[in-house]
Amino acid sequence: MEFEFTEDQLELQRAVRDILDAEAPPELARAVADGQKDAADFWQTLVGLEWPAMALPEEADGLGYGWVELAIVLEESGRHAAPGPFMSTVTQFAPLIAEAAGPGQAAELLAPVAAGQTTGTIAVDEGAGTWDPAEVSATGRRSGDDLVLEGTKHYVLDGATADEIAVAVRIEGELRVVLVPGSSVQAVEGIPVDPGVRHATITLDGVRVPAVRLLGDGDASDAIRRALEESVTAVAAVTLGACQRIFDIINAYAKERIQFGVPIGSFQAVKHKLANMYRDIERARVLVYYAALTLAEDHPDRTLAASMAKAAAGEAQRRCVQDGLQLAGGIGYTWEHDLHLFLRRAKVGELHFGSASQHRRKVARLALQSSAA
Amino acid sequence: MRLTYTSEVEAFRAEFSAWLDANLPDPASTTVRPRSSGDIPAWAREYQRRMFDDGWLVPGYPPEFGGRNASLYEQAVYWEELGRRRVTQSFNPQGLGIVSASIITFGTEEQKHRWAVPIMRAERTAALGMSEPGAGSDLAGLSTRAVLDGDRFIVNGQKVWTSGAHHADVLLAFVRTDPDVPKHKGISALIIETDTPGLERRPFQDITARQPDFNEVFFDDVEVPAENLVGELNDGWRVCTGSLAHEREMLWILWSQGLDQMLDAMLSQLNDGAGAGAADDPVVLDGLGSSIMDSWSLRLLGQRQLARSQRGLHVADQSLLKLLGSEAQQKLALLMLESLGPAALDRTVPPGAQSPYESDRSALSWADRYWFTFAGTISGGTSEIHRNIIAERVLGQPRG
Ligand SMILES: Cc1cc2nc3c(=O)[nH]c(=O)nc-3n(C[C@H](O)[C@H](O)[C@H](O)COP(=O)(O)OP(=O)(O)OC[C@H]3O[C@@H](n4cnc5c(N)ncnc54)[C@H](O)[C@@H]3O)c2cc1C
Ligand SMILES: Cc1cc2nc3c(=O)[nH]c(=O)nc-3n(C[C@H](O)[C@H](O)[C@H](O)COP(=O)(O)OP(=O)(O)OC[C@H]3O[C@@H](n4cnc5c(N)ncnc54)[C@H](O)[C@@H]3O)c2cc1C
Repeated sequence: MEFEFTEDQLELQRAVRDILDAEAPPELARAVADGQKDAADFWQTLVGLEWPAMALPEEADGLGYGWVELAIVLEESGRHAAPGPFMSTVTQFAPLIAEAAGPGQAAELLAPVAAGQTTGTIAVDEGAGTWDPAEVSATGRRSGDDLVLEGTKHYVLDGATADEIAVAVRIEGELRVVLVPGSSVQAVEGIPVDPGVRHATITLDGVRVPAVRLLGDGDASDAIRRALEESVTAVAAVTLGACQRIFDIINAYAKERIQFGVPIGSFQAVKHKLANMYRDIERARVLVYYAALTLAEDHPDRTLAASMAKAAAGEAQRRCVQDGLQLAGGIGYTWEHDLHLFLRRAKVGELHFGSASQHRRKVARLALQSSAA
Repeated sequence: MRLTYTSEVEAFRAEFSAWLDANLPDPASTTVRPRSSGDIPAWAREYQRRMFDDGWLVPGYPPEFGGRNASLYEQAVYWEELGRRRVTQSFNPQGLGIVSASIITFGTEEQKHRWAVPIMRAERTAALGMSEPGAGSDLAGLSTRAVLDGDRFIVNGQKVWTSGAHHADVLLAFVRTDPDVPKHKGISALIIETDTPGLERRPFQDITARQPDFNEVFFDDVEVPAENLVGELNDGWRVCTGSLAHEREMLWILWSQGLDQMLDAMLSQLNDGAGAGAADDPVVLDGLGSSIMDSWSLRLLGQRQLARSQRGLHVADQSLLKLLGSEAQQKLALLMLESLGPAALDRTVPPGAQSPYESDRSALSWADRYWFTFAGTISGGTSEIHRNIIAERVLGQPRG
């Protein structure tokens, strides 16, 4: 077992980091936070670099990167608090299309995503905050060659801006996924905790789409669950990156900031907080990359691993946001300092796609089941 | 990155596994139990000797010293096989893991054959004399004095906590040989026979109130031959940190296995309805999930460290692994103890908790198990000391 990046993976990590250092510096996240800029230009840059195609299969004109490579990109993206539809399109929409549509249909739908012409997102949760397909109650009803949808979806990432929304609805007793043009739904955005990660509530009531926009055949519960394992792992990887950035800022600051005539990093109360942050980040890191590996290999542990990754990233963000902000002192409590850009990205990672506690309880139930078996 | 070992490593595992099938003692022959970590019963001595002779005791060593020059990954699956079968490598862990390992690293050829090999072949047992009443975390502040007088040292002073010393044949003792230089520069390492006149051992019980393992060891003009010096005179700090490095290098595997055994016990007890349906309590489930993540992350961090040392990279995570492993055990024991509530008031050990090939320490009630986890967070460097080490040596913070 070689649980470490290959040379190629390390090279990718360096390349991605260099690109994001140049294209997504803190000034970009800040400009987005200040409402002076949206993420459109940055997205076009990523399209130019073929990032949307990265993890898509070659049949859909993708580059066919594996999940470990994708996780490397996501971690770096969190580390830069990069804005834009990369996460929703590549780690939510694309996996759900790939899982729910038949192979031919998927390739056809994903090719424009790979080309950067289409962005997408998914609409599953209806307010419970569990993203559990069993709790979906929105419906679709056949009407001639059309489907008529009813229901409301919550916490849809980029729900107000995505070109296409893959929506989970019940049709004739089965859970199905329907592709809905973003322009056809009513989307309401709140005021986001992290202006680089925007959610919307979308109302489907009366939305009419051609029935050919129904993906695949038969019940899609498993397809949704499998796709969400990818989405959840992606959120964990982004959160990990944000935590790493918080840690890097504070670990450096503790060496520079002089109080009582010495760097504050020489005080043990500060040291021990830093050691705990480091521990929680490394714990999350190995669990995130383990989850990526199980997705890459479609290993049976993927369900467990995705939840462990999400929960560990949640525990790491809790520690890093709390102690990172505390150790920065007054300067971290300001809008001018960059720290909050990453604090926001980390905290949002906890708040969507199931809390750390929800995922921990799922991990425990899975382990109890396999122990009883 | 991948999830499986190479076929060569798997072949190594299969070979060791077949050896264990053929050589593990009959459980019926294991009724005589070790009395302390310095005591190995006859059946276990015989078994440990066979491991040495067949090159399975310390697989990373050359055949001369009980190994077969195994690679790091081979050593890892070796530990996995022992853990899976709940077989301890030696009932005198500090003798094999620290004392003989230090002599192999720092001793002369003569010392290796005279002291290390008999300890490894379980002909003799050894204890580790580092800590003193005035020198715990600040080990370099030790004051047991040794004065070179011709061809012998005269030793005076006291050690404490010396695990298993009352049954051990020898001690590896760290002593002050030069009091006039900075504290790290005046320490030497001596091998001391425990039956030397003037050496007195007083065993005492630990918090779990079992057979004593701790000792106070008093030295009153104890004469030690000069040839028993391990390493150079006044270079004992290097031996000391080297011996702790031995202790820490693959230690994560033991933390990981100890944690997994506790976790398995907890899962099956909860499934059996322990703690009046604690398995349905969301608070218990929440804590249990975190402990399961501790277990996985410990194993993965250990594997990452292996991959890094295999590539010849500097590995810096020993303190992290020790901290994570020891505190994860404590967290889990506390969770189970409090999940059981009044059912944990009875310290009776559940039947079937014992493996015949393991130290009896594995058979504990959850209350005693919880106390016992403090042996992990205190010895081998306390958690506070490891946090300091991480902050200073891994994260680069200034010394306070
Ligand atoms: C909302 C707000 C309002 C404020 N209003 C005012 C005001 O009206 N007037 C005014 O004068 N000031 C004001 N302040 C400033 C405030 O008093 C300082 O922020 C505070 O004293 C901490 O100092 P610092 O920010 O320089 O942090 P630092 O002193 O640099 O501390 C950074 C970190 O190091 C830690 N640290 C420092 N020394 C030690 C040590 N010896 N041991 C262990 N840890 C240590 C700190 O606990 C902190 O976590 C305000 C601050 C805030 C956040
Ligand atoms: C089960 C067990 C087996 C042992 N076996 C052996 C053995 O075989 N041979 C042997 O030589 N020793 C042995 N020891 C001793 C062990 O090495 C010491 O207990 C350990 O080094 C801690 O020293 P101390 O007990 O004197 O605690 P102290 O060093 O007095 O520490 C007391 C408290 O102060 C904290 N502290 C101390 N210094 C610092 C610092 N710089 N920063 C922050 N906090 C600090 C500690 O973390 C601890 O919480 C054993 C101990 C145990 C528990």
